[in-house]
Amino acid sequence: MLLLFFLYLSLFAFLTFSINKFFWFARMPLHGRWELYPVPREPAERARYGGSYYEEPEWWKKPRKISRIGEIKKVLKEMFFIRRLFINQRRHWWFSYSLHAGIYWLILWAVFLLAGAVTELSGQVLITGEDGNFWAGLVYSGTLISGGAGVLLLTVGSTGLFLRRMFNRVLNKYSAPQDYFNLLFILAVAVSGLVVWNGDPGFDYGREILKAMLTFSPVKAGTALTVHILLLGALLIYIPQTKMSHYVCKFFAFHRVLWDNEPNLKNSKIERKIKRTLSNKPPVVSWAAPHAKISEQLKELSGEDQEE
Amino acid sequence: MDNIKPQDVSKPSEQMIKLDNLMSLPAPYDQPGMEPDIKTAGDAWSKNYCASLDGIIGNDMLFRPKTGPEEKQIISKFLNGLDKLFYEESNGGYLQPLLLSFEYCEKCNTCSEACHVFKGSGEKEIYRPVFRSEVFRMLYKKYKKGGSLWRRFLGGDIEINVEAVMRLGELAYRCNLCRRCAQVCPLGLDNGLLAREIRKLFSQEMNMAPKLLHEKGSVLQLKTGSSTGIARAAFLDMMEFMEEDIADRTGKHYKIPIDKKGADILLIHNAGEFFSWPDGPAAFAIIFGEAGLDWTLSSDIAGYDCVNYGLFYDDLQARKLALHQLKAARELGVRRIIIGECGHAHRASAVTSDRLVAGGDNIPRESCFPLLWDLVKNNILKLNPARNNFPVTLHDPCNITRMMGIIQPQRQIIKAVCPWFKEMTPNGVKNYCCGGGSGFAVMNSLNLQEWMCKVSCRMKFKQVLEAFQNTVENKSMIKYVCAPCSNCKGTFRNMLDYYQATSRFNIRYGGLAELIVNAMVEFNRPYLEFLNEDIT
Ligand code: SF4
Ligand code: SF4
Repeated sequence: MLLLFFLYLSLFAFLTFSINKFFWFARMPLHGRWELYPVPREPAERARYGGSYYEEPEWWKKPRKISRIGEIKKVLKEMFFIRRLFINQRRHWWFSYSLHAGIYWLILWAVFLLAGAVTELSGQVLITGEDGNFWAGLVYSGTLISGGAGVLLLTVGSTGLFLRRMFNRVLNKYSAPQDYFNLLFILAVAVSGLVVWNGDPGFDYGREILKAMLTFSPVKAGTALTVHILLLGALLIYIPQTKMSHYVCKFFAFHRVLWDNEPNLKNSKIERKIKRTLSNKPPVVSWAAPHAKISEQLKELSGEDQEE
Repeated sequence: MDNIKPQDVSKPSEQMIKLDNLMSLPAPYDQPGMEPDIKTAGDAWSKNYCASLDGIIGNDMLFRPKTGPEEKQIISKFLNGLDKLFYEESNGGYLQPLLLSFEYCEKCNTCSEACHVFKGSGEKEIYRPVFRSEVFRMLYKKYKKGGSLWRRFLGGDIEINVEAVMRLGELAYRCNLCRRCAQVCPLGLDNGLLAREIRKLFSQEMNMAPKLLHEKGSVLQLKTGSSTGIARAAFLDMMEFMEEDIADRTGKHYKIPIDKKGADILLIHNAGEFFSWPDGPAAFAIIFGEAGLDWTLSSDIAGYDCVNYGLFYDDLQARKLALHQLKAARELGVRRIIIGECGHAHRASAVTSDRLVAGGDNIPRESCFPLLWDLVKNNILKLNPARNNFPVTLHDPCNITRMMGIIQPQRQIIKAVCPWFKEMTPNGVKNYCCGGGSGFAVMNSLNLQEWMCKVSCRMKFKQVLEAFQNTVENKSMIKYVCAPCSNCKGTFRNMLDYYQATSRFNIRYGGLAELIVNAMVEFNRPYLEFLNEDIT
């Protein structure tokens, strides 16, 4: 029963800490504009060469055109292909992509396991699909392919990145012990997964765990599986505490900083936000240089209009 | 030398690197003796400033402490400032971008290849974009994260001492803040932003910002109206003289309106142009006059100088200047502000200050290039491109292209008026900085200029030579680098002079408006003075 609780706890911790981090960033004050072109939310004909609405005379009178499709396309390319790394550092990309692709396959694997668990709980038997049951066959082989690909890619990726970090002169110089530890941690989860898989090629253990989780029954696990569960759960709790939570950071770094070129136009949403920010309390922590003591002068310069 | 690590900034040494084995330049600069050797700081400077990084002194207000208590004071001020960077109350306007770039670097080293300073230097470790950021991170972690084992695990294995603080202060002035590295980072992180945050800490907390940016820059501008020190009366005289000069040169009188209430356009130039490149503002007066635009200049503080050096080192100064500029426009009751050929002023005015005010105070700010292209495209001016009968290449100022997305208008104009136009590689949004960005172009005290010409300008100089590759050695042929930005012009002036590229190979530089006026059919004489020199 303890293992079951640990699994609930680690999943809960992963989600809570990640969501918490997201809201922590989301609640930060409106920052000054710091965009960087090309901005994919510009219409395609401009985004192509990195242009913006500033290329138009009297741009502030023209209707604002935003390409959400362009933005989504860029995000998907970055998420599923790690495009910037592919273009700018191919050697590193092979391993980084392997690790990330491994994670995506394993997420798919978890979905297949869940589908398999529900299917089995509903009384159907999951086998290779030779009996003509398409669904059973799909779930069974889907689990096999996604789990196998995921764990292999994860192992190759984390090993490769670890070795690269060890033996590449530059990476080695800039890596903290934690950087190695993170990769080793992932590798340990992957290797323990390989060991368990070796004794259970159909990933039945995975479905058993999910069934236990769905029905609140104890997880039956031998030593290898127990070690694997403990490592995986600990990793899930650990990831959001570290920079491995860059799935949150990337959202803000791109959408809220580099691609945020929303102009402060009259009656716009951003204008209302700015008005709210400007009417907030003045800063209580001030800087020490003599020229920093200027609040009165600044107030006068800002004009009265802001308060309207 | 290759073994330098971020931790080494705390270790005493005369100089962390030597400026040798720089990136090689193409012909004819691949021959020995084509460029001067760099002179690093001597003993006297080393005693007073921080020359222990690379023998260069960028921040001439970063004085070396003389006594133990002074050392302690510097370190404690630095740590106070470090704290303030991470408080919402003191750095709310940049906290989110700062934390993202600070916390999430994967040390993948993708950014190094994109940095012209790192590449131009022959890959010196201390100029690697992530080196500076890592020193910054390590110092913060060491300061904040308590217990030694845990700290080491996280990467805070560094000693905080005065050498480290001073070297970090200098390192912040070995980055052009061009943000080219951020374009390639897979996580969208920005080493340029971190360099600017370090500059900010040194300025806003420690009062140690380079004299030419702060005391003789933004402070002077807030006092006199211009970072050049030109006061209102002198400005008015200069404009009167400019009107006369245009009449002498073109045979036609163009009015330069000043403080015209209710005009459509308030045009603001970088006042450095009035001194160093008056042909630029004069060309604008001619073009705007010919087009019949309803425009004016302002004689108010920050109304006749669009410079905002705060953008390079200090949020508070940036804010004050931006608000002054808006005040000048508000008082004249103009409909919009047009920024002349000045890259950082474009960004400071239109982008960085966009969230400072709201409502009626928020007077629209625009770049001059779309307007100029509109005039050229619609044949408002009678132009004959054959008058610009020489090879021209275009330098893209980072602040206008990478940070504002204005890419096409300036090239359309050049393509329309210069038949021999040749792009640099790379260009547009992927351009390289001229090497003088972030204030280096004007920081001419001590020896930063030498470093700039030799190291940070190296990539741009290479690009220029490559753009003119077949004609470089043809001395009788003028080659023109169009640099539509005052800071970039300042850099090209110093760079071409340093490599003697004008005297040896007739490579010239200038703005964009001058090329337009030079193509105007109604003037008998070329507008570009060097064409007159060559003819006679
Ligand atoms: S590319 Fe980005 S993540 Fe990689 S080292 Fe540079 S700043 Fe860090
Ligand atoms: S901002 Fe520019 S100069 Fe600074 S580190 Fe990045 S690429 Fe290099």
